[in-house]
Amino acid sequence: MLTAFVNINSFSQVRVSFDVVSAETGSEEGAPVGPGPNPISPEMKELVWGAGSFIVFLILMRLFLVPKVRKGMASRYESIQADHEYASATRAGAQADVARYESAVAEIRSEAARRLETARQTLDKERSEKVAQVNAQIASRRAAAEAEVAAARAAAQGQIVSAVDAVTSRATQIAVGVSPDAAIVSRAVQQAMEGSRS
Amino acid sequence: MEALSKIVKAAADAATGDEKNIAAAGSAGFAYGLAAIGPGIGIGMIFGSAIEAMARQPEAAGMVRTTMFLGVAFTEALALIGFVVVILLKYA
Amino acid sequence: MIINSILSFEFPPINELLRWRDVVPGLNKVGLIAIASALIGTLIFLSAARKDPKVAPKGTRNLAEVIVEFIENNIIMQTMGRDGLGWTPFLLTLFLFVYLCNVPGIIPFIQMPATARMAIPMFLAVLVWIVFNAQGIRHQGPIGYFKNMMFPPGVPKALYILITPIELISTLIIRPFSLAVRLFANMLAGHLLLVIFALLSEALFQARDRILIPIGIFPFFMLVFLTGFEVLVAFLQAYIFTILAAVYIAGAVHPEH
Repeated sequence: MLTAFVNINSFSQVRVSFDVVSAETGSEEGAPVGPGPNPISPEMKELVWGAGSFIVFLILMRLFLVPKVRKGMASRYESIQADHEYASATRAGAQADVARYESAVAEIRSEAARRLETARQTLDKERSEKVAQVNAQIASRRAAAEAEVAAARAAAQGQIVSAVDAVTSRATQIAVGVSPDAAIVSRAVQQAMEGSRS
Repeated sequence: MEALSKIVKAAADAATGDEKNIAAAGSAGFAYGLAAIGPGIGIGMIFGSAIEAMARQPEAAGMVRTTMFLGVAFTEALALIGFVVVILLKYA
Repeated sequence: MIINSILSFEFPPINELLRWRDVVPGLNKVGLIAIASALIGTLIFLSAARKDPKVAPKGTRNLAEVIVEFIENNIIMQTMGRDGLGWTPFLLTLFLFVYLCNVPGIIPFIQMPATARMAIPMFLAVLVWIVFNAQGIRHQGPIGYFKNMMFPPGVPKALYILITPIELISTLIIRPFSLAVRLFANMLAGHLLLVIFALLSEALFQARDRILIPIGIFPFFMLVFLTGFEVLVAFLQAYIFTILAAVYIAGAVHPEH
């Protein structure tokens, strides 16, 4: 029970009483005691209770509580670490899969390009072969036709020559009355024909 | 500080007529006043240097803070011993 | 000035603010807070340890893991390096216990940091002292440990006259003393500030002179601000206590640092 004296104008004194700390207990037992020894000197009962409770607390913490909590923390950190490692391993696996897939895709793509190239080359070769074949055919046919034409022309020329020979020898026979020498006639015809042609 | 001088003054008032008590109270207040000067300057210097160090090197702030509290603890002890001496003077 | 001339209120004796009657014989509020701190810490980690560690952490498990990682990353790795991870349970318990003892200073209706009494900081500081000295003796041997402590290598021989007593006193006496006093005095000072502003605003709010009542807003704002500040201090002091313990242990295990 604390007390304070309030002097108003130094005449009247009002005594105000306080219940600073033991308001909740309401009993005199929790209230401070009066004057005693030096306030700094430790009191035996406080020392004993403080030391006792601290030592019990320390023993409990040292032997059971802190190691248990610490172990739990360490195990959780380890499990988190393991999860991290597992996650990074999974990620690395997935990345390897992706790389493998991409390399396979690239391989297939290059294979396809290669096949396309060979097919194109084959096609080119075949086409040029066919073209050459057709060209050769056309050339041979043209040569044959030309030969035929030349042959026909020669035959016609021969016929003309023989006809002219006959006509000439007949005309000569009629005109001269002598059958001319065939060799001379044909030579003359030959000359005439060549002269007319040129 | 104000509070302490009040304690001392109130105690001195209560023991009116007792020369020894008045002398004890006065010297106690004086002693604490003296005891507070040095640590006050010291703590100010410690905090000033610590703030400067932290501003220059913010990455070392944790270490500086720990060391600062250690320094403050050692310096402050002087003022607190003065405080205890006051109580000893007054009540022993 | 206004306060002194118009409204002077009597501050209660400091022991009335700090010493508590026994709830049951031999157990007062500070002891209760200490027990509650150990209990709450145990319950958090018990319920965290029961949960399935494989699923994403939620609730108490998340809280426990955040604390474990805070200790490992911000305290052990910064001061002891990877070798110090075996110290997690000790430093974690230290941090949690100190923090849970600090925090009642700002919880409404409890408003008493158990570390504002000397008993618990002193015990913890002595414990840290025993631990780091034992570690030094274990890792360097009793002769090597004291030799490294009193004659740090790389110092000119003439300076040993000066350094040896300073190092001896600083390591064996000042370290545990300042460790305990730092925590205790920080929490006590915070507690006293809260008490002063609470008393002042209450006195102003209940003043008979009505003109004084609105003035009570100012100390009340200060009270709210300081409560927010104490939230920070409660964490910071637990952090500093733990990190200093880590530094001391690391220094004893590896003398070259």
